[in-house]
Amino acid sequence: MLWVDKYRPKTLDKVIVHEDIAQNLKKLVSEQDFPHLLFYGPPGSGKKTLIMGLLKQMFGPGADKVKIENKVWKIDAGSRTIDIELTTLSSSYHVELNPSDAGFQDRYIVQEIIKEMAKSRPIDTKGKKGFKVLVLNEVDKLSREAQHSLRRTMEKYSASCRLILCCNSSSKVTEAVRSRCLNVRVNAPTEEQIIKVLEFVGKKEGLQLPANFAAHIAAHSNRSLRRALLSFETCRVQQYPFSENQTVAPMDWEQYVSEIATDIVQEQSPKRLYLVRGKLYELLVHCIPPEIILKKLLSELLKKLDADLKHEVTHWAAYYEHRMRLGQKAIFHLEAFVAKFMSIYKGFLIAAFG
Amino acid sequence: MSDIRKWFIKQHDKGNGHAPKPEKASQVVPASEKPAPTTTKPSKQPVEQGQGSAGRRKTSKYFATNTSEFSEKQKQADEGKPEKSQAKRKTSKKNDDDDDNDDDNDFVPSSEKNKPAEVISPAKKLKSASGKGISLKSVDDDEEDDVDEAVKTPLKGSGRGGGGRGTGTGSSGGRGRGGGRGGFMNFGERKEPPNKGQKEVPEGAPDCLQGLTFVISGTLDSLEREEAEDLIKRHGGRVTGSVSKKTNYLLADEDIGGRKSSKAKELGTAFLTEDGLFDMIRASKKSKLVPGESKKAAGKTDLPVARSKQVKVEANSINDQGGKSLVAKGPAKDAKSKRLDPQKSLTWTEKYRPKVPNDIVGNQSNVKQLHDWLACWDEHFLHMGHKGKGKKQNDSGAKKAVLISGPPGIGKTTSAKLVSQMLGYQITEVNASDSRGKADSKIAKGVGGNTSNSVKELVNNEALSVNMDRSKRSKAVLIMDEVDGMSAGDRGGVADLIASIKISKIPIICICNDRYSQKLKSLVNYCLLLNFRKPTKQQMAKRLMQIASAEGLKVNEIALEELADRVNGDIRMALNQLQYMSLSLSVINYDDVRQRLLSSAKDEDISPFTAVDKLFGYNGGKLRMDERIDLSMSDPDLVPLIIQENYINYRPSSISKDDGVKRMNLIARAAESIGDGDIVNVQIRRYRQWQLSQAGTLASSIIPAALMHGQREILEQGERNFNKFGGWLGKNSTMGKNLRLLEDVHVHVRASLECNTDRTSLRTDYLPVLLKQLTDPLRQLSKDVAVQKVVELMDAYSLSQEDFDTVVELSKFQGHPNPLDGILPAVKAALTKAYKQGSSSRVVRAADLITLPGLKKAPKKRIAAMLEPVDDSIADESGEPLADGEEEENPSDVEDADAIVTGDKKPQLDLQSDKSKGIQVQLNLKNAGNSTSKKAPTTTKARGSGSTEKGGRGSGASKRKR
Repeated sequence: MLWVDKYRPKTLDKVIVHEDIAQNLKKLVSEQDFPHLLFYGPPGSGKKTLIMGLLKQMFGPGADKVKIENKVWKIDAGSRTIDIELTTLSSSYHVELNPSDAGFQDRYIVQEIIKEMAKSRPIDTKGKKGFKVLVLNEVDKLSREAQHSLRRTMEKYSASCRLILCCNSSSKVTEAVRSRCLNVRVNAPTEEQIIKVLEFVGKKEGLQLPANFAAHIAAHSNRSLRRALLSFETCRVQQYPFSENQTVAPMDWEQYVSEIATDIVQEQSPKRLYLVRGKLYELLVHCIPPEIILKKLLSELLKKLDADLKHEVTHWAAYYEHRMRLGQKAIFHLEAFVAKFMSIYKGFLIAAFG
Repeated sequence: MSDIRKWFIKQHDKGNGHAPKPEKASQVVPASEKPAPTTTKPSKQPVEQGQGSAGRRKTSKYFATNTSEFSEKQKQADEGKPEKSQAKRKTSKKNDDDDDNDDDNDFVPSSEKNKPAEVISPAKKLKSASGKGISLKSVDDDEEDDVDEAVKTPLKGSGRGGGGRGTGTGSSGGRGRGGGRGGFMNFGERKEPPNKGQKEVPEGAPDCLQGLTFVISGTLDSLEREEAEDLIKRHGGRVTGSVSKKTNYLLADEDIGGRKSSKAKELGTAFLTEDGLFDMIRASKKSKLVPGESKKAAGKTDLPVARSKQVKVEANSINDQGGKSLVAKGPAKDAKSKRLDPQKSLTWTEKYRPKVPNDIVGNQSNVKQLHDWLACWDEHFLHMGHKGKGKKQNDSGAKKAVLISGPPGIGKTTSAKLVSQMLGYQITEVNASDSRGKADSKIAKGVGGNTSNSVKELVNNEALSVNMDRSKRSKAVLIMDEVDGMSAGDRGGVADLIASIKISKIPIICICNDRYSQKLKSLVNYCLLLNFRKPTKQQMAKRLMQIASAEGLKVNEIALEELADRVNGDIRMALNQLQYMSLSLSVINYDDVRQRLLSSAKDEDISPFTAVDKLFGYNGGKLRMDERIDLSMSDPDLVPLIIQENYINYRPSSISKDDGVKRMNLIARAAESIGDGDIVNVQIRRYRQWQLSQAGTLASSIIPAALMHGQREILEQGERNFNKFGGWLGKNSTMGKNLRLLEDVHVHVRASLECNTDRTSLRTDYLPVLLKQLTDPLRQLSKDVAVQKVVELMDAYSLSQEDFDTVVELSKFQGHPNPLDGILPAVKAALTKAYKQGSSSRVVRAADLITLPGLKKAPKKRIAAMLEPVDDSIADESGEPLADGEEEENPSDVEDADAIVTGDKKPQLDLQSDKSKGIQVQLNLKNAGNSTSKKAPTTTKARGSGSTEKGGRGSGASKRKR
């Protein structure tokens, strides 16, 4: 098993990084009840771990007994029936699902499935808890309509169910939904915290971890604890004992993106743009989300840029990312960004060097 | 002319070699009032040409200043030229002078006739290159003599100056091409002309190539194919696609040794170079007198419209003579059109409707057949009763009705009527404007009122025929026009028509457009089928010529053929167009037809590729907005995709020479616009805002095409220089497939309960590490150790063999080494084997999509994996929660309630593989025994295999257990 999972804290008490949040959550559920919650924060910061810890705290080990279920729901949408396949992870106390999987039909999941689940009150023989918990992932990817449908559900069925929402960016969750939740911001761990965790894991595994190397990994992790642990393990496979200045290998796709960035900076021509399009397609086909590609590409480009251009290029990257979210065919917008960059950069080069 | 002046002009004209006209106009001033010619010119030119050719001038300046080679070449060219041009000028001058006196009277009227039209619609005229040429001519006519001296030489010089940039002109063409070609070699199948737009295109007498047939082969020196074709047609020549005996010239600047040239050699066809063609055209003009040099300068096809307009305006304002003549000519035209007016009370389509069958254009055999059929109809069907059964239906007349089919406007109705009239039939026509539904049976007896009833009445009008004398009986024929138009309103119309045919006492002629229409399927069995075809353009042109000459219209044959071509065989439309044009013009030539009908081409089905070709093509910039919308709407889904795939392949014609920035800018703008199109498309599809569809096509197709249209070039070695199909569809479906696979992995990983990531971070963070952990040991460690390690990991995350493949597949980037490289096949095989061995326990965990014994298909609902955490933290307190769980099982939403039950109270089979220590599956034997419910299969399966040792999958592990 990978270390990142092996040393995942299973209870709120064992949490290392966000200890304060964990303690607060613990107090929160000590009353055996809690409001709707919205966890938000960058990936790899520990939202899910906290949620699982919270559930465990709340319901005891029974919350760990989960089953995974992939079911096709038939939904009657006016004139036609829609089949939606949805994977749920459920214990007797909670159901976890990812409504944004349904794409533009996410509305139906919220309107039908979630409502259906929320309606039914769990039959609790011991009468301890009169509600069940719905954990919704990636709420920020829900369409506006779905979010609007959600807010009524949250109020109406609050007696029989609690929602725990989890997302990366709270700005994409509508105001109405946010105001109905207790918002919990889960920060990305600082590099010091990451180093602390790395040392903890190293100790458990009985490894010699040079301090510099730990710092190195932390710096490369982009403040994602998950990333840090994974690359720590990769490094362990590559070379042990560690040396002070061992390189941290980038992920395969990251490497590919930086190749694209190099391509772009090297030459700005239609021919090169064509080549880059092929590579972008390659990334997309390999299931790398376009937003992540764009972000990574921008940061790679910024490394190679003159200070004068940084601001402009960043502006355009943001501009095209926004358009990408409005649109549907991500490649168009990625390509537009690359074309824009090429045009700016080429103009700049010619102005500077003739 | 002094040397200084020559140089002076040349400097200005380096960039404007193709645009000497404005200069001329300005020179009118110095010419008429001789003094101080040099001072006015320089000041004028830049102003005039500023807007028009800013881009071109800039770049050519760039060349002139930066490239010494070019300037040298120019010098060379210039040194050679003056004498030659002078000499030429003298001879031509002489000709001009002589002819001026003699032929003026003959020729001027025609140019005068031309003129009013141009004054009336200058904008239209100016759209095309030729229009410009002509309009110039009209202006220059009057100035010609005065200006001649002053203008001629400088003009020549300027023209040469432009040409000299790439090559010399005329005779020295070959040299320039040799130099220019190398760089263009890799541009695709048909190369861009090496000296594109760098030669003046001569303007000759309109009919100078009359009767000559050309075939164009290969790349020409300076003209695009289309331009060359235009040029030839404009001068009365004919262009055909392949070489035949009739071909007079093969126009080729290089012998590429293709089929055309070998055929031409075989037939002894003369080869002609582009320069030769130019000379021919020039020569014609000299002999024919028409104002000379000015036209020669008209050249360059894509002169900005504005400029020639300016010329006109200036000519008007500055030159009294010109102004006067314009004014003078206006009334003349008016008078003429007035004179014509009374004749035009009738539309030509009516006026010249064929009077005898021979007038009908084309389809003569069909007409004859129709005639024969109608002529013998009476004999066949009416006299049959009298003459006994001996004369059975034997020939083509055997069918009682005829069905004429063919595209609109080719004379079906006319033929039918004409033939009927000739044979003395009285015609009753029923067409789509009448209701043709099934006759009501109650009033079918003849109470009439409804058309169908009157039809019924008509077809069985015995009463009439009985009373009358046979010979005197007025014969009737029923023409059912537009039978394929019988639609919702005419319920049962066709069936009724068939019934009518069966009982009919009169011939029935049915006419339709589409014979293969579903509605007519039953009808065709009862009819003699006559398929009318479109007449050829030659046939049409001949008939149109007759009409035109009858109307006193001067049209050349090429123009009429073009007209016939444009209307797509619809002679009615051709006539309408011709009449319309006759209102404003009395001499119609090729270009008039071309322009007029650009718009009125009929709707045709065009494939998305054709549409994209047109949008991006050579003339892409000249299309009108509605045409562009039509093109991109031809398939609003595919066209944008093809555009998106190909737009970077185009070298925009709007920028000429450029360091790459401009093109990159255009590409960026086009890409952004394509993005706009995508956003609009989301609004259209997701929120059903269909009113945005035009905006969508505008953004996704029209704007990118407008920015980028030009010459296509290839970006990749070995690519064919044609528009490619949009790659998005394919990539998107691959992406969908991969996402599904990834989702499977995700579900499995989640099912292992070891991690709870979302799909994104699973892909971006986990997958690379997983891959490393899965493949590295296989490469580095010894076989057994490695295999065991990998299988352990796979079990820990409940990955199946397919998931392993997915992980590898998703990490395989083009141009990167395959992650499986360096793994020996033996190791892979061992891995597979080891994995299969342990698969009994995994069945439950990765329970989806397995087929179960006793069930035909995999259960619709994926079977849930019920798992027991084995973590230390839980292990110590596992006793009570399990007990809890037993009691708390909630059947409402926990499907596998029975299977979950754990504890020692119930008899159970504990399958625990030693390899996968993390997996502990507990199955309820008692339940499984008699369970029929849906959730049971899992247990059934496990039990079955375990106890009976039948299932191949579970047997190994369970045996060991026992």
